[in-house]
Amino acid sequence: MSFVKITEKAIIFDIQRSSLYDGPGIRTTVFLKGCPLNCLWCHNPEATDGNRQLSFHIEKCTFCGKCEDVCVNRVHQLTDGIHAIDFSQCLLCGKCVNACPSSALKIVGKWMTVDEVMQEVLADYDFYLNSGGGITISGGEPLWNLPFTLELLKRCKLVGVNTCVETSGFVSSLRFIEMLPYIDVLLFDYKMTGSAEYLKYTGVSNEVILNNLEIAHSQEVSIILRCPVIPGINDTDQHFEGILAIDRKFPNLKGIELLPYHRMGNSKRLGIGIEETLVSLETVPVELSIKWIERLNELGCSKVKLGVG
Amino acid sequence: MQKIDNFSMELNFTETYRKNINEHIAIREARCHKAQFPAVLSEIQENDRLAGRTFWGWVGFSPHNAPGGAAFGYFCHELKIIEAIERGNIPVEQRDAVHEMLHFWKKETSKAKVESAFTDKMIPVLFRDEIVSLPYNFKPLIANPIYRMAGVFLDYEKLLRLGIPGLIEEITEKMNVVKASGGDYQLFEGMLIALDVFIDSCKYYEKQAIEKAKAASNPQRVKELLQLAEVLKKNTISKPESFYEALQLSWLYTLMCGSLELGRVDVYLGDFYVHDIDNYVITEEEALSLMHSYWKLINDLFRDVDGRVIIGGRGRRNEANADRFALLVLNTIKTYGKAILPQTTLRFYEGMNPLLFEKSLDLIGEGHTFPLLYNDDVLIPSVAQAHDVPIEDAEQYMPLGCGEIVLDHMGFGTPSGSLNVLKALDVTLRDGIDPITGKRLGLPTGHLRDFKTFDEFFAAFKKQLAFFIEILADHEELEYVESGKQAPYLYLSMLYDDCIARGKGIFSGGIRYLGGSLESFGSVNAADSLTAIKKMVFDDKLISADQLIEALNNNFNGYEKEYKLLKESPKYGNDDAYADNIMVELHDFMCNTMRDQRERTNLDWYLNVLINNKQNTILGRWVGATPDGRKAGREMANGNTPAGGNDKNGITALLNSLVKPSPDIHAGAVQNLRFGKDVFACERDKLNALLNTYFKKGGAQAMITVINRGDLEKALVEPEKYQDMFVRIGGFSARYIDLPRDVQMEILSRVTY
Ligand code: SF4
Ligand code: SF4
Repeated sequence: MSFVKITEKAIIFDIQRSSLYDGPGIRTTVFLKGCPLNCLWCHNPEATDGNRQLSFHIEKCTFCGKCEDVCVNRVHQLTDGIHAIDFSQCLLCGKCVNACPSSALKIVGKWMTVDEVMQEVLADYDFYLNSGGGITISGGEPLWNLPFTLELLKRCKLVGVNTCVETSGFVSSLRFIEMLPYIDVLLFDYKMTGSAEYLKYTGVSNEVILNNLEIAHSQEVSIILRCPVIPGINDTDQHFEGILAIDRKFPNLKGIELLPYHRMGNSKRLGIGIEETLVSLETVPVELSIKWIERLNELGCSKVKLGVG
Repeated sequence: MQKIDNFSMELNFTETYRKNINEHIAIREARCHKAQFPAVLSEIQENDRLAGRTFWGWVGFSPHNAPGGAAFGYFCHELKIIEAIERGNIPVEQRDAVHEMLHFWKKETSKAKVESAFTDKMIPVLFRDEIVSLPYNFKPLIANPIYRMAGVFLDYEKLLRLGIPGLIEEITEKMNVVKASGGDYQLFEGMLIALDVFIDSCKYYEKQAIEKAKAASNPQRVKELLQLAEVLKKNTISKPESFYEALQLSWLYTLMCGSLELGRVDVYLGDFYVHDIDNYVITEEEALSLMHSYWKLINDLFRDVDGRVIIGGRGRRNEANADRFALLVLNTIKTYGKAILPQTTLRFYEGMNPLLFEKSLDLIGEGHTFPLLYNDDVLIPSVAQAHDVPIEDAEQYMPLGCGEIVLDHMGFGTPSGSLNVLKALDVTLRDGIDPITGKRLGLPTGHLRDFKTFDEFFAAFKKQLAFFIEILADHEELEYVESGKQAPYLYLSMLYDDCIARGKGIFSGGIRYLGGSLESFGSVNAADSLTAIKKMVFDDKLISADQLIEALNNNFNGYEKEYKLLKESPKYGNDDAYADNIMVELHDFMCNTMRDQRERTNLDWYLNVLINNKQNTILGRWVGATPDGRKAGREMANGNTPAGGNDKNGITALLNSLVKPSPDIHAGAVQNLRFGKDVFACERDKLNALLNTYFKKGGAQAMITVINRGDLEKALVEPEKYQDMFVRIGGFSARYIDLPRDVQMEILSRVTY
């Protein structure tokens, strides 16, 4: 086996080409696995854990039992039309994935080098040039694997690919400032207003996050604020006023996008063996999100628009 | 009471043909036109602003336009006549004659003449009779002949510049010269008779318009009809001077000559239109109202896969005026309401008035399937190369019907055959034997297990393809030769370069370029199948040759593991070199082999077209399960577009793949793209950038449909609510709810962006 520097590799959850909604122009979004936050409403729970994972799509399963036959760790157990999976015993050998005739099993996450990622990114170079697009590094939390992200950013800048990073902002300021020169656009999450609230719903405190927002703003990076709005949790005037305060405090924000709650995260949770969250909450209908926008406008926040998260 | 099946026109036509059977072919044809027109011209209808409707007879002469399928010179629609005989409502005095007529044409139609000239090599491959009666056969064939003279693009500029009297003058002069030198002057005599027939037809409609005016009660309608009568009269005595006269003349001529294409309307009507608008001869509303009538006639009388109205592009001598007319065309699409026809085609190039492109995208964004987009910057050099013609001639390229490229009034190239590429692969896997019938359909090149390397197998497949391509190329040539012997196609020869100058009919040496094209279907599935075979059987050795054949024979039932491996093999359309390279190799081989047929035949070109006209679905029904993971009987992928659902890597990856097969060795490839409405509405800049990049990278063409996947799904459940939902199926536009279920499913399976 050849020696590979750790900075050059990361577990990539997915690479999505032609993405139109993650920053300016036509982009390629690279999703890194691993996130230090644990937001209750996360719609990408498969990217939260920093390791590769087995995932199961029950709607495709035909209960044929092939996976049970091949798994020596007895992860799969089929009894009476129930397919029970003991995720904790899975060693990610991939045998059941290959054996499954209906593609119901998958291993999410793939080790990739910066080179490999770059190759995929550069395939759409002409599209970036004509549209003002480029790469968007997302996750998970892309700043969690800082060496890899930094290396990827540098490589992009070197060949003139516009860079965009989607982040919760939860990273040491010292490290954060190190990568700002390589970032053209920051998609910066603003999830909750108030420190205690932040901790309660995301598992981390927001001080360093707000600090980093301030640093980025003072460094004149283009920032688009992204605000997930979850009915019953942060669709409150208190939070909306918080958004407004941010808007006032940081006049150079390029935009503010609302990301209304979508419940598709839950089936993904089940697929990797974790508990559903916000079980009774439905996907936000468009009418409601428009009301939120109107409310924010009323309060005096005019930059806000609907985003696609 | 049942309608009487009156065959007096057909009997008269047959009698005329028979009486003139030994006459010069031009005279015979001209007299046949006289028997046909105005007899097959049908009435001016309520709201028609233009005269010219046909109900072709079941026997007649036409290069292309005819009821119930395509015509091919002298035609006889046997099935319809037999149906009438069986209904028993033919007038007693006609009965014997109808039977006799049916019998007579068996040997005399242009198609029968071609068939009787089949070579020994053709007969076993082209299974003549089964295809003849059914326009698109229902048999598992690999090589299918097609009978029609499609893609007539007349010299409308000449027609309108000279008018009928001017044409008569030119032809008379030429005739006198030829006669004096003892040449074949009768061709011109025939043309003059045909023009007389045209004049008679104008007069017939003029009279009808006046009569209808007398009977009309609405004063506005009376005025319209009298105006129409006036226009028709002018057409008989002078060249057109107004937009109205020009439109009427070009329409009636198109109809009577049996063409189904309208060509560069912006060039030939632009000056008339601009003159009339700028001099207050006509108002915008009036012009639009005439255009609506024109659109209606095209929709009523042409078939869904034809009717090309072409606007924009290089090589327009009156660009500014033409652009103004092109905008009128776009406005007509917008205001007429969604329609299947005409297949409005926008040719564009860098530096052209950007308004045309923008407005076209607006229309597409509103859910119209037109215009179709053709990139001159790629296509002109490609056509020059593929068709081997000078750039000035390539500038006059015209996509006909489903997209086969020919040259405006100088180069003909009817597609006279279809090649089921996937079926050819089906038999190559099995030593040339058709698994359905157990009979030999291809060459005995060995079974899959006999091949030691993938390259050997690919070579065998190429050998099979080359065999069929040669036969079909010979067949194309034969069609022209026999057609040329049968008739000079007078209405075409008068308006095609250089027939008058050479004194020859279009298919007997008159036309400047005589080419042809071969419609190939299933290339993408075949390429993906090759990829899967290479990867699974030869490279990774995860499936043995026998296992694969067994899996295919059983339509993958009981072979779920193999199915999954095959499905997950790399597929064209994802910017994946492994799959795309095989597609390119297959594409190059087919295109070049066809292109080389010019050396074997007298055709000026013979080129591949990767189009689609429901044939991907229809021919697919007869192809068993294939190694790309396509199940038995399922549709094949569209034109040059990835098989439904196989492009998983995003639109940019798809576009990158699409530009890989080279455009300068064939005569047209369909590229279907579908976008959700939201992309047009909210992300227009990004969409523009996407298309721009694609075209700059060498994208030749795009057929864009805007639809929400949800729309399609709902339409399956409640079709009545989705009457106005039109979709593009590669070569044409169709009402989604009218399509067969499997075609609907195929469209649904394509990814929407
Ligand atoms: S990946 Fe391996 S260990 Fe995990 S469930 Fe599948 S077979 Fe068992
Ligand atoms: S092999 Fe696949 S389909 Fe069969 S039981 Fe396991 S997960 Fe379900």
